[in-house]
Amino acid sequence: MTIDWSWIGDHTDDLTTLTVSHLQAALSAVFFGLLISLPLAVVAHRIRPLRGVLLGLSNVLFTIPSIAVFVLLLPVSGLTRTTTVVGLTIYTLVVLLRNTVEGLDSVPAKTKEAAKAMGTRPLRALLTVELPLALPVIMAGVRIATVMSISLVSVATYIGDGGLGQLFTDGFQRNFPTPVIAGVVLTLLLALVADALLVAVQYVLTPWTRRRA
Amino acid sequence: MNRRTLLGGLFAAASVPALAACSSGITSLDGGGSAGGGGGSSKDGVTIGTANFTENQVLGFLYAAVLEAAGVKTKVRPNLGTREILIPALKGGDIDLLPEYQGALLHYLSPKAEATEEGEMQNALAMALPAGLQVLPYGMAEDSDAFVVTQETADKYGLSSLADLKKENGKLVIGAAPEVKKREVGAVGLKDVYGVEFKEFKSLDSSGPLVKGALKKGDVDVANLFTTDTDIVANKWVVLTDPKNLIPGQHIVPLIADRKADSTVRKALAELGNVLTTADLTELNRQVDKDKKDPEDVANAYAKEKGLTK
Amino acid sequence: MYELFKDLGDWLVSGEQWTGPDGIGHRLAEHLQYSLLATLVAAAIALPVGLLIGHTGKGAFLAINLASFGRALPTVGLVVLVFLASGLSMWPVYVALVALAVPSIVTNTYAGMTAVDPDVKDAARGQGMRWHQVLFQVELPLALPLIMTGLRLALIQVVATATIAAYVSFGGLGRYVFDGLAQRDLVQVLGGAVLVALVAVVLDLGLSGLQRVLFRHRPA
Repeated sequence: MTIDWSWIGDHTDDLTTLTVSHLQAALSAVFFGLLISLPLAVVAHRIRPLRGVLLGLSNVLFTIPSIAVFVLLLPVSGLTRTTTVVGLTIYTLVVLLRNTVEGLDSVPAKTKEAAKAMGTRPLRALLTVELPLALPVIMAGVRIATVMSISLVSVATYIGDGGLGQLFTDGFQRNFPTPVIAGVVLTLLLALVADALLVAVQYVLTPWTRRRA
Repeated sequence: MNRRTLLGGLFAAASVPALAACSSGITSLDGGGSAGGGGGSSKDGVTIGTANFTENQVLGFLYAAVLEAAGVKTKVRPNLGTREILIPALKGGDIDLLPEYQGALLHYLSPKAEATEEGEMQNALAMALPAGLQVLPYGMAEDSDAFVVTQETADKYGLSSLADLKKENGKLVIGAAPEVKKREVGAVGLKDVYGVEFKEFKSLDSSGPLVKGALKKGDVDVANLFTTDTDIVANKWVVLTDPKNLIPGQHIVPLIADRKADSTVRKALAELGNVLTTADLTELNRQVDKDKKDPEDVANAYAKEKGLTK
Repeated sequence: MYELFKDLGDWLVSGEQWTGPDGIGHRLAEHLQYSLLATLVAAAIALPVGLLIGHTGKGAFLAINLASFGRALPTVGLVVLVFLASGLSMWPVYVALVALAVPSIVTNTYAGMTAVDPDVKDAARGQGMRWHQVLFQVELPLALPLIMTGLRLALIQVVATATIAAYVSFGGLGRYVFDGLAQRDLVQVLGGAVLVALVAVVLDLGLSGLQRVLFRHRPA
């Protein structure tokens, strides 16, 4: 299995386009995943009976093969980027929902009582006290969801999308390892860089955790 | 976890699209591209979809080359899947133009179609196509389905035609792309027309590494390949003859949305159809599969060489 | 949508759908074989590694990075790469599934080991226990709940991902998903997906049951 370096040299433009498209799909999924799971997590945190239902549901979604989800979305959104992003979003939910709920749970009761005693309104307490304190756990979830999505985008190659995943089907059909290796390496790099950036974001967003550590 | 919750989960999965559909503006595949499927005339660009095998991608990029030369903006979406996926996508407006194969397309649309002569098939296609879609005149080049056995298998069972398979009913394994199992030009037709029943149908790929690998290894006895695949000759495989004409003529024919089929597009594709021969197409496939050249480069070089583009 | 689920019901209960080489019975058996074998191999690799890292405290950095590396590895790419190297064989499937399962097991085993109270370990050593006695009689039983969590997570991922075997010509429940995609037969795709999810849920419940049994015998 040799790498055809000249192929890589000739295809830097294509590789760049696919990498950007790949990242865009993964990040959109995490964005929409957060948009959906934040309010759901607050509900699950506040209303105990709903908690098991919501977490259980997201767990079951996780057991459905991703290829099947993409195919089942075809009648709704066709061969489009929307299908890819919706499918990926579903998979981010299990991690994001669980971590956000756990993050909210981790806020000490005393802190919440103090906020209440000071007359802070519930919504304001949520936004200014609970969510910031839950941030480290939520960010851990965002990191896992991001890396997972980046790895999962390539499955959408079976419905004609999939960013770097297109290199896998191409290399497969032509018995040509070079594009496949390039795709795997770029996916790993993308995941590692995205993860490092999220660590930096978390560092900036949560100055208080630094002092404690 | 009981069944009800499980199904509930699936319902939830299926209802998310409503929520996310509003995001399509941001996440649309087209990005800033000017050639979007779905609307307008050919002046707004033509999106060409292609199936999941080399030749169809070569054809897609050939269409793109001649259309661009005629001043039509194009976008090629390679490797989208099978005809079963592509035609709904064409109807739905995700793509506008497809390189198709006369007989296979006709039998997809009306499985019991009887037309075999090219002109008849063209008429039958016009009748069978859903509103909004049309086929343009067919080209010279042809790529048929072929059912192929190794020389060894042919000798062992005395096979030379599809009719010979019947005497080995229940013994042989056939390998083909999954969709061929349900197709008239496939397992269904082999049974109806020749009375052939296989021991097993193995879902593999469209004249790709799986089906050819399985034939070489002996995992399958009969393989469904394309006649433009150079590996058939290279491996001295035997193409079973088709005395009852199960496999219709497979001239390459552009399938297009009506709104994009203006005179510029028709003229450009017709010119290509009159130049491209079966031998040319076979050679272009070989360059992509064996020389590892890009379908796009191969198509552009050919179009230029033949004076179809400047 | 109602039609789809009605057809799914018909698909799941029709007799012919359950028999023959492409029947649910055979596909289910294949799927279980791929999933269980891959998880067993992964456990055989990952458990000793996790226990060793946890016991010695060395290589924790490696364990944590292995997890994010493993999560980032695109399964489709790995399958294709091994396919191109090994040809038509089961290697691509097993390599990809084992690679998927190893990180979850290593990190959870490691996490379980580090969660063991250092005082307990010191006390065991103080009683004259040898290192292997400390590992197997003290640390392992205490770390077991988290180790089991890792195994369960790995198994669920492997069951869902074993679908990929169908992409490289093999069987399992993924056959319905890939064939259904090629034929645009959504009932078949949904049937395959529901069966995979069901297998994952049932196996997970089984393992958590096993975990409860193990718990009961654990010295308090």
